[in-house]
Amino acid sequence: MAKNTLRKTFIEPLGKNNPVFVQILGICSTLAVTNKLQNTLVMTLGVMFTTALSSFTLSLLRNHIPSRIRMMVETMIIATFVIIVDIVLKAFYPEMWKQLGPYVGLIITNCIIMGRVEAFALQNKPMLSLVDGLASGLGYTYVLLAIAFVRELLGTGSLWGFRILGSWWTNWSIMIMPPGGFFVLAILIWVIRETIMKEAKA
Amino acid sequence: MNAQPTFYRERIYPLLFMFIVTFLCILLTAGIYLLTQDRASANELSFTRRAILQAGGVSFENTTAGIELAFNEKIVVEDGYYTTQGPEGTRYIIPLQGPGLWGTIAIMVGLGEDMKTFSGLAIVSQNETPGLGARIEESWFTGQFQGKTAPFVMVEEGTASAQNEVDAITGATRTSEYFLNLTNRAADDAQSIIRGE
Repeated sequence: MAKNTLRKTFIEPLGKNNPVFVQILGICSTLAVTNKLQNTLVMTLGVMFTTALSSFTLSLLRNHIPSRIRMMVETMIIATFVIIVDIVLKAFYPEMWKQLGPYVGLIITNCIIMGRVEAFALQNKPMLSLVDGLASGLGYTYVLLAIAFVRELLGTGSLWGFRILGSWWTNWSIMIMPPGGFFVLAILIWVIRETIMKEAKA
Repeated sequence: MNAQPTFYRERIYPLLFMFIVTFLCILLTAGIYLLTQDRASANELSFTRRAILQAGGVSFENTTAGIELAFNEKIVVEDGYYTTQGPEGTRYIIPLQGPGLWGTIAIMVGLGEDMKTFSGLAIVSQNETPGLGARIEESWFTGQFQGKTAPFVMVEEGTASAQNEVDAITGATRTSEYFLNLTNRAADDAQSIIRGE
């Protein structure tokens, strides 16, 4: 029983309850950071770390938080973890920190984090909440990496900063601009809903 | 747990709870900040020094130690600017900053003895759009100013040919324009900085 719940908690955010293509959460960052694989990976790792640990911490506190001020407490704890990510990046990966610029701070406003806390962590035990947070972060990560793969390849002819396509390739600049994010995300959602999700429902 | 609402439960407890949470959060972040502060400021110093070396056209090994070594050996710190000895005489390295699309762009410009010809250029900090305007950090972009003299003219990416032409960045017209203004100001600003005005 307990094992089943754990499995379900881990699997659901990866597939039929995916935060990005089912719940359509965290779209702002999905559009903003997905024009380079490297930036996307660091950003999503930051989100995964924050979702997992803030879900865990708030679940520990869930019986003590006065419900009237719970959102303040949630924001405070989420912000703390994000600042930790920012400080650690700045000290140990300065090149990456420079590239990501303001995006790290914006993890605070990622709706997936607060969404998982409100919807899951406040009703469930800490370990289960940790798994849920981690899985939601993972669900977010692979979708964003898929989008970044398409955008970086078509937009710059490279992957991970290395030139993949030859000089015959004309960069689709639109792909690395914000509209490119909308195009790729929309196509991805459409494809997934029309194929995998439809079969699962039938 | 279902006690009657009391003054304590309704007013004092939430206040106290928030106070304690805030206190612990600040303690944690401040602690980590203090632990990594030295490292972070060393990184920042190293970034600035690397930009100075690049602008001055000095070759160096791209590690923290390599940057420090080259900086101490080749660069002379003056009041508000830096100098180094190039093959054709003194080079002046001037810090400049100006507006970009999202925030300030800070650069280091290296000028030859005539204080007009660029010996190099490097970005210290910028907040332009990643993948578009942020490409001003790429070496093909900063490198193209070397040996050229202002005023520059921006032309479509990949088409610069004349002595004063530089490639703009496709998809980042505004950033390119801001950058052009900044570099065209360089010679005048250098004069006033070096004269100490």
